[in-house]
Amino acid sequence: MSDKKKVIVLGSGPIRIGQGIEFDYCTVHCVWALREAGYEAIVQNNNPETVSTDFDTSDRLYFEPLTTEDVLNVLDREEPYHGVIVQFGGQTAINLARPLSDAGVPILGSSADSIDLAEDRERFEKLLRELGIPKPEGRAVTNAEDAVTVAREIGFPCLVRPSYVLGGRAMEIVSGEDELRSYMRYAVDVSPKAPILVDRYIVGKEVEVDCISDGVDCLLPGIMEHIERAGVHSGDSMAVYPPQSLSKVTKDKMVDYATRLARAMNVVGLMNIQFVCEGDEPYIIEVNPRSSRTVPYLSKITGVPMVKVATRCILGQSLKEQGYTPGLYPEQKNPAVKAPVFSFQKLSGVDNTLGPEMKSTGEILGQDSTYPRALYKALVACGFDMPLTGAILVTVADADKAEVLPLIEGFAALGFPIYATGGTAVFLQQSGMPNVQTARKISEGSPNLLDLIHGGTVGLLINTISKDKKIEREGAQIRRASVERGVPCLTSLDTARALLLALSSHPSTGEGFGVRTVDEYLAG
Amino acid sequence: MPKDLTIKKVMVIGSGPIVIGQAAEFDYAGTQACRALREEGVSVVLVNSNPATIMTDVEVADRVYIEPLTPAFLAKVIERERPDGLVPTLGGQTGLNLATELANRGVLDDYNVRLLGTPLSAIARAEDRERFRKLMREIGEPVPESFIIETDAALRDLSRQSGLPWPLIVRPAYTLGGSGGGIAHTVNELMEIGSRGMRLSPRHQVMIERCLVGWKEVEYEVMRDANDTCITICNMENLDPMGVHTGDSMVVAPSQTLSDKEYQMLRTSSIKIIRALGIEGGCNVQLALDPHSFAYNIIEVNPRLSRSSALASKATGYPIARVAAKIAIGLHLDEIENKVTGKTLACFEPALDYCVVKIPRWPFDKFVSADRRITTQMKATGEVMALDRSFESALMKAVRSCEIGTLSLLYKKASLWSDMEIERLLSVATDERLFAIAEAFRRGLMIEEVHQLSFFDPWFLVKIRNIVRMESRLREGAVIVLTDEGTELLREAKQFGFPDRVIADLTGKTEMAVRARRKSTGIVPVYKMVDTCAAEFESHTPYFYSCYDAETEA
Repeated sequence: MSDKKKVIVLGSGPIRIGQGIEFDYCTVHCVWALREAGYEAIVQNNNPETVSTDFDTSDRLYFEPLTTEDVLNVLDREEPYHGVIVQFGGQTAINLARPLSDAGVPILGSSADSIDLAEDRERFEKLLRELGIPKPEGRAVTNAEDAVTVAREIGFPCLVRPSYVLGGRAMEIVSGEDELRSYMRYAVDVSPKAPILVDRYIVGKEVEVDCISDGVDCLLPGIMEHIERAGVHSGDSMAVYPPQSLSKVTKDKMVDYATRLARAMNVVGLMNIQFVCEGDEPYIIEVNPRSSRTVPYLSKITGVPMVKVATRCILGQSLKEQGYTPGLYPEQKNPAVKAPVFSFQKLSGVDNTLGPEMKSTGEILGQDSTYPRALYKALVACGFDMPLTGAILVTVADADKAEVLPLIEGFAALGFPIYATGGTAVFLQQSGMPNVQTARKISEGSPNLLDLIHGGTVGLLINTISKDKKIEREGAQIRRASVERGVPCLTSLDTARALLLALSSHPSTGEGFGVRTVDEYLAG
Repeated sequence: MPKDLTIKKVMVIGSGPIVIGQAAEFDYAGTQACRALREEGVSVVLVNSNPATIMTDVEVADRVYIEPLTPAFLAKVIERERPDGLVPTLGGQTGLNLATELANRGVLDDYNVRLLGTPLSAIARAEDRERFRKLMREIGEPVPESFIIETDAALRDLSRQSGLPWPLIVRPAYTLGGSGGGIAHTVNELMEIGSRGMRLSPRHQVMIERCLVGWKEVEYEVMRDANDTCITICNMENLDPMGVHTGDSMVVAPSQTLSDKEYQMLRTSSIKIIRALGIEGGCNVQLALDPHSFAYNIIEVNPRLSRSSALASKATGYPIARVAAKIAIGLHLDEIENKVTGKTLACFEPALDYCVVKIPRWPFDKFVSADRRITTQMKATGEVMALDRSFESALMKAVRSCEIGTLSLLYKKASLWSDMEIERLLSVATDERLFAIAEAFRRGLMIEEVHQLSFFDPWFLVKIRNIVRMESRLREGAVIVLTDEGTELLREAKQFGFPDRVIADLTGKTEMAVRARRKSTGIVPVYKMVDTCAAEFESHTPYFYSCYDAETEA
C-alpha cells in the first residue's frame, strides 16, 4: 500500500440517452489528473464498455454497482481516504452526493449542498433574484388550475416540465390553455411532492457555457451557440463554437453571471449553464454544477484540458496558480460545429422530431476554417450524403410557412427540385415559386408523398409539427418513411437554414476540403 | 516472430458517433490498442469524428484527426500522413467497412499502406455470408439452412416455395447491430421484413434462414496469431435463447448450463473456424446449441473486436484489444506479456473463479411509445456488468446497476400484470421479461411452465426462483432478521445480492438499521481480485469485485 492520499471517482454507469460516453471521458481524465497530481485514484463503475473500467486506467478499479450502499462498502474498505469525486460521473454520480454526504463522506469539489441548490427551484430562484440575474418568468405548480393561472400571467407559449427530471423528460411547449390542461391531465404525474414548472417560453438563441470555478474565480473556456432555437433539447441541437451571432454585451453578461453564480453557489470544479437570449439579454434556463455533455468537445477545440483544470481546482489549486486568467478564454480561430446523431432506424414507434426531450445517442464534430465549411463537415460526419441529391419535399405547419419561404427559395436556387403538400405547395407557388410541384397527401390516394419517398425521388424531407392532430398523424407516417428509407428529415427550420448555408457555400462535391489534426486547428 | 520493424506509423480508424449497436466499447478497444502500439514504438495516426472519446485525445495518439469518417476524408488523411499500415479491426463495423472501401478504391495500394492483422481476404470470408457458408461446409461445420436475397422478385419467389423451415429469421447484410432484421412467421411478414432489410443494407442484401427458436446461444472469444497459435479468452452464454440479438440479451460468463462435452465441442469448433478463416487477432464466434441433443449451428463470426470482446476483456481481465494490436504488428501470443499478472504470457487462457452477468440498458424509459419487443435488431444503448461468486448475486448486482428504478427483481408494474399478460411477457421477449419471470414464480408457476413459455434454461430459472424465494423468506423472517436468530438469514440474503434497502423494505425496517446490524455482526463484503488465472499465479491486477465470502484479496 502506498502512502498517497486516496480519492474515489464515481463513474456514470451504463450508456443511455442523455448520459453517454462523454462522462466516461470526464471520469478518465479526472483519474489521470489525480494520478499526475500524486494521488491514488480509485474508480467505481459498472460499465464494461468503457475506458474508465480498463485495467490500467486507475490505481484500483471496483467493478461494482453505483448505489449508496455499494459505494459505502467500497469506502469502508478504502479507509482512510481523502474523499469522493462525483461531478464527472453524470447524473448517476451526482445523485449519490446527498446520501453519501449525509453518511459523513467528504465530497470533493462542489458540495452536495451546491448540487441541491441548483436543483431546488425555489432556493435557486431566490439566489438569482438576490444576484440580479434574469431567468424566464414562471413558477412551480401542483395542479392544473394553478398552471393555467400562471400561464395567463406570463402569457403563452409556455414551457412546461416536471421538476427533478433527467435530460428533459416529459418537457413540452404548450401554446394555449387546452394544451396545457391536457398536458397536466395526461402527460405527467402531478403531486405536491412533484411539482410542475411553468415558464415563459422565450423564442430565442440558446447558448451554453461550461465553466471551471476554483471557488473564487471562474474560467469560461468557450461559449457555444446552438443552431436550433430554444425548445430543442441541448443534446439534440447542433452547436457552434465560437458563437457566430452574439454581441460583446451578451458575452460579457454571460461571463459576469457565470462568475457570480459560481461564487454564490460555492462551485468548485465544473459547471454548465444554459441561456436563452432575447435581444442582448441572456436569461438563465438551467444550471448544473457538474461536468456536462459538451466538456470533451469544448476541451478539444479550445485546447483547455477542462477536466484536468477542474480536478486541480477540486484538489485546492486555484486557476491563477494553474496559470489561467479568469473570465472568457481567448476565442480560437477555427469554428467547430457539434452535431447530434440519432438511432431512429433501430427503434420503431419513436418519432424523429426534435423537441425538448433528448433523442440522440451520439455526436460528431466538424471543424474547418470558416463556419459554413465546419457546418458542411459536421453534416457529412453525421451522415448527410453531401452535396445532397434528389428532390426536397416540404410539408410545414401554417405557422412556419412565412419562415420556410426564403429557405426553399435558396434550395431551389441551388437546383433542387421542390415538392410540397397541399397548403405548403399553394403558399410557395403563390409566393413566386411556380415550379414547386404538388405532392399528394397520403389521404389523397396514390401516388402520394410516401411513394415519392419510397421511390427514391426525395433526398431531403423538411417537416414541421402541426398542431392539427389529423395532419400530424400523417406527418408522423411521412417522417417514419424517411427514417426507413434513410432520407434525412429536418423538423427544425434552423437546421434547414444551416444545411442551406453549408450547401450554398460549397455547392459542388466537397473536394475542396482538407483535413488537419486537432493540434493544427488549435494553432490557427 | 519479433515485431515487424518496417511498421513505424499506423493508422487507426475509430467507430464514429455512438449509435445503437456501436457504443463506447470501441473507444475502449481503440484506446487500449493505440497505447499498445505506442508501447512498441509505433507512431499512431487516429481518425474519428466523435469528439467525446478518449481515443481522440492528444495523450492517446500521436496524430489525432477529428474529421468525417468517409472514404474521401480518410484518403486525405492517408495522403497527408503516409502511414505504413492500417489496423482495420479496431473501429467496429464502421472502421472495418471503411478500411475495406479504402482497399477497394485502391487508396491503400496507391500510398503503400499495408492492412495489418487480420487480412481483408479473411474478413471477406467471414462477412460475405455465401463465402462463409461455403467455407463452413468445407471444414464440416454446420450452418443453418439459409437463402441470400437481393431483389424483391427473389424475395417473392422464395416466399412461394413450399417446405420453408418456418419461422424464418431475416438479417440484412453489413448493417450495424442487425439493423432492420426480424423474425417472419408468415409470407406477409417475410415480404415486409425482407424488403425493409434490403433497403437498410448497404449491399441491398438480406440473409433469410431457419430460425433456431429455443436453442441456446453461446459465444466464444478467440484469438489467433500469425503463427497459428489459438486460444479462447472465454465463452459466454445468453440467458435469452436464440431469437434475441446478443447485444440485447442478458449474458453470463463463463457459460453455466453447458456440459463439459458441449463446452469442448463448441470450443474446438470455434478454434477450427478462426484457423480456417485465417484471422490474425481477435474474433467472436456465435453458435446455437440444441438443448436436447449435441447438434449445433454456427450463427455468425465477427472478424474484429466487438461489443462481446469488450465484455470478455472485462469479464476475464484479459486485454483483448491490446493483444490484438500487438499481433497486428507481428508479435506472437507467446511473445506478449499479460500486463494484468505481469507474470504470464498472452498465450495463457484465462480461468474464471466467479460468475459474470451482463444486462443491456434499453432506452424505453425515454421512448415510452417505442416498441419494447427485443428481437434480432438491437435496441439497447448500453450495458452493465456485474461479478460475484454466485449467479444470483451477480444478477442482482447487474439489475441495480441498470438504474431502471428498481434495486432488485421486485418491479413496480409487476403486481399489476394479469396472469395472461405474464404469459405473454414470458413468451415474447421484452426488456421486462426478467421481471415477468420473477413475478411468475411469485404467483406459483413451475419451472417447467416458465421454461415452456420463455425457453430459458431451467438452470437460470431455478436461480431466479431462488431470489424470489429469498424475498418471501425475508418477509416471513421480518421479526427475527435483525436478531441473533436471523443472522444466518441476513447473511444468506446478502450472499444472494440483496441490498440493505430491499431487505429493509421486505422486513419493514430502515436501511440504516439493516446496515448497522450487518456491520455489527460482521456481515460485510470482502473484495476479490480479477486476475485472469483463478489465483493460479500471483497477480498485480488492481481490479476487484465484492462478495459476501470469507476472505478479502484487496
